[in-house]
Amino acid sequence: MRRRIYLIVLAALLVVTLGVAGCTPKPAQENTAGPASAEVVKVGWIGSLTGDQAVWGQCELNTVKMMFEEINAKGGLLGKQVEVIGYDTRGDAAEAVNAVKRLTSQDKVAAIIGPNASGQAIAISSVLEEMKVPDIATVATNPKVTVVDGNVKPFNFRVCFIDPYQGAVAAGYAVDVLNLKKAAILYDVADDYSQGLTEFFEKTFVEKGGEIVAKEAFKSGDVDFRPQLSKIKEANPEIIFMPYFFKEVALSANQARELGINAVLMGGDGWPSDVLIEMAKDAIEGSYIVNHLDFNDPEVQGFKDAYKAKYGLAVELNGYMAYDAVKLLEAAVNKANSVDPITIKDALETSSVKGITGQITISKDTHNPEGKDAAIIKMVNGEYVFQQKYSTK
Amino acid sequence: MTAFMQQIINGLSIGSVYALMAVGYSLVYSIMNFSNFAHGGVIMMGAYIGFFLLTAFKLPFLIAFGLAGVGTGVLALVIERIAYSPLRKRNAPFLYFIISAMGASIFLENIVVATIGPTFKTYPRIFSPEPIAVGNLSIGRLDLIMCVISTISLAALIYVIEKTKVGTAIRATAYSVRASALMGVNTDQIIMIVFGLGGLLGGIAGVLFGMKYTVYPQIGFITMKSFIAAVFGGLGSLPGAVIGSILLGIIETLTSGYISSQYRDLIAFALLIFILIVRPIGLMGKTTEDKA
Amino acid sequence: MNWFYIKGILILSGINLLAVLGLSLLTGFTGLFSFGHAGFMAIGAYTTAVMTIHFHLPFMVALGVGGLAAALASLIIGKLTLNLKGDYFCIATLGLGEAIRLILDNVQYFGGARGWPGIPLHTSLLNVFIIDVVGIVFLAFLIRSRHGRNMIAIREEELASQIIGIDVFKYKMKSLMISALYAGVAGGLYGHYLGFLQPKMFQIIKSTELTIIVIFGGLGSISGSALGAVILTALPEALRSFDKWRLVVYGAAVIFIMISRPQGLMGGYEITPTNIKCFLFRFVKKDKKHQGMGGR
Repeated sequence: MRRRIYLIVLAALLVVTLGVAGCTPKPAQENTAGPASAEVVKVGWIGSLTGDQAVWGQCELNTVKMMFEEINAKGGLLGKQVEVIGYDTRGDAAEAVNAVKRLTSQDKVAAIIGPNASGQAIAISSVLEEMKVPDIATVATNPKVTVVDGNVKPFNFRVCFIDPYQGAVAAGYAVDVLNLKKAAILYDVADDYSQGLTEFFEKTFVEKGGEIVAKEAFKSGDVDFRPQLSKIKEANPEIIFMPYFFKEVALSANQARELGINAVLMGGDGWPSDVLIEMAKDAIEGSYIVNHLDFNDPEVQGFKDAYKAKYGLAVELNGYMAYDAVKLLEAAVNKANSVDPITIKDALETSSVKGITGQITISKDTHNPEGKDAAIIKMVNGEYVFQQKYSTK
Repeated sequence: MTAFMQQIINGLSIGSVYALMAVGYSLVYSIMNFSNFAHGGVIMMGAYIGFFLLTAFKLPFLIAFGLAGVGTGVLALVIERIAYSPLRKRNAPFLYFIISAMGASIFLENIVVATIGPTFKTYPRIFSPEPIAVGNLSIGRLDLIMCVISTISLAALIYVIEKTKVGTAIRATAYSVRASALMGVNTDQIIMIVFGLGGLLGGIAGVLFGMKYTVYPQIGFITMKSFIAAVFGGLGSLPGAVIGSILLGIIETLTSGYISSQYRDLIAFALLIFILIVRPIGLMGKTTEDKA
Repeated sequence: MNWFYIKGILILSGINLLAVLGLSLLTGFTGLFSFGHAGFMAIGAYTTAVMTIHFHLPFMVALGVGGLAAALASLIIGKLTLNLKGDYFCIATLGLGEAIRLILDNVQYFGGARGWPGIPLHTSLLNVFIIDVVGIVFLAFLIRSRHGRNMIAIREEELASQIIGIDVFKYKMKSLMISALYAGVAGGLYGHYLGFLQPKMFQIIKSTELTIIVIFGGLGSISGSALGAVILTALPEALRSFDKWRLVVYGAAVIFIMISRPQGLMGGYEITPTNIKCFLFRFVKKDKKHQGMGGR
């Protein structure tokens, strides 16, 4: 009898789940449009709302929604109200493909913003090409997101600089400006972003006459880096390059100081966060960061304050990139004078707009923003202090 | 030579973290003959409980420490009641226990993600992060404290198991559940005690882990390593778990230090499999006769 | 609902289904627990991609090669570790899965951790469907054969099977190899569906997901595994709106199934015409105790 009851409960559960699956599910976020206007244009967003990248993804979606609310209040895009539809990808490439399929076929969006990781951005490109909808990636920095084997991907665009550039800037600044010639690298072997930066940092650093005295790896999820750091200490570098995200940065920086390593630390755009300062204020004092913008630039403050007022949280780095993606899309739509995805795509190829992280001028050959300078930030007394705009060619 | 000594110290320190976690696995295994994968979740909850007691309630360290241990002990009991005891009553195969345990660990990890959030939390500084320098070597203060606390709790555990009446009952149950039940041991109660003890150790491990590193929902993932260490030392044997953990810590450290940090886990795993082939029950495992 | 979108989900369910079928043979019918199936999928995925891109083999042949490569890897690891008992074998497979991922992360020829874009998109609903049908039919015949019965015997009582003369090691090996073959082919399909491969796709969590589908469908039931794969792949899509809580519910559901109905959705039964008739018949004559519905 008990078995019968369980069977019935299970059957009921199944019916409910199938019922949920059957009816059209609601998108995670919808309708930022104000009054019921006759014409609505839909814009999609994808990225991680859950998983280990959730901090950044949630900030992006918030920014995109806030921006379009402002645009809607001013009359919308070409007089049409904008509706933002955001889907979670859990940081998984297959889920990103599902989400884009849904956005392009069912929701019929004019364009997509995101995702915040290269793996997903590369995986969705075939769907974009099939459905002919353009995508503007926020922080997908792998060169292969827009160009594979010399061919540009027609529907993939981005607003961030790419790994080779960021790695080269870091190496160039270390050798030419800081005049440090002996570097060690600690990197995450299981992370694409970390491997990309490592490769190009090493290349430029050696080209400029520097020497890589140690190159050690760890694996995502590790918390103890002392074995690698002890080895790095033996090599006695002047600078240690740490291209990974702030949790590992905080732990490894603290452990490096604990082992008595006094070398200058340097990192990329995975560093900036308030949590990093909270946890490793002393250890990262005097470190350098290659960033997309200067956080204290007066032009940035308006957006920063508006975001904080609306969501009660500080903007993470990705918010600024999402801001620029929206600006770029707006410019392209106005230029195309149409919300047809293909026309938008053509307009994007020649668009140029003043974004929050600098002038974004899309190159037709690479679909990357060209000539964007990196901002070098130094940690001084637990603050992110802007040093200079820097670029290498 | 200094570098080598420093690497050995690093290895001991990493190994002792594994050891505290691995003992929980072994303790449960010795009685139930299955790997309690929910233990990782329990350790993670211990770290969070400790964190909130210290920051939100501003309790003194030792009290927070004790309360976290009690909290996880209770949590482990609740998991036993809900997820395992119905299976036990039915004499289900060990596979079902493992899956139930995996369900519990998925549940615990994600309930933290959903309620507290995915970002990591930092323990307040209780001990100075400044290491003790011995010549050119540096020894973390926290490492020493961890060492002391682990030794005390492990010694207490061994005392309980070897010298008390309850301990005798635990050992009897570990030997044969059915026979000890026939001899008048309330095995149900013994199993609850074992889970409670395992949870208590998990809580201590969690707080120490949180203090040394940081607190985040995926801590349970690290315990995979300690599980490996427990297998390495021989599941079901407490000294085995400790020795296995320390050895794994040192092997990992020396591999990254002298062979290749890129392939560290590969080499560690290869060595593990080699040891299992030579000695299929781990270093100090008890010889179980096809119990599963 | 749009067909283009649904098609994507169906292809993905079909790919998961294939991997789950393999695991179902290993876990459901032979009683071995694997944490490393994502590793076999990764071997299959990368080998198939090498075959289609560098050797220009037809897709179906390349898939076969990918599957065989995974089976070969399982042969090596099986020879070494199949004699180990339950948990020790678990650890060995876990180590294997992680080791494969670590190697792929390091090998720059395949793009390392940064992934391998530009894989041709050969996977379609049609070829996934055909392969799934072939996979199911083969497995159904295998289970009903002497080999299948021996495997089930090993699951039920290893010692006893050994005593009555079953070569336990040999049958475990067979089961593991076939299971790895399925996973390898599934991996090949996966790579050619996404057009991109990255070691990150094959984490332990992927292996756990597959195991949970097998359990959800019911240990020792092919139709259960098939049903479980489709339902559990489509479910997250349906639950997009309360995503944050999805895995909480998922974990609770796994425990609930284990303690209430450990035999899973189908509980060792199969969906065959005879069984459906039996099932309906049972409702007509309620008072009569029904007899064996086959399956087990």
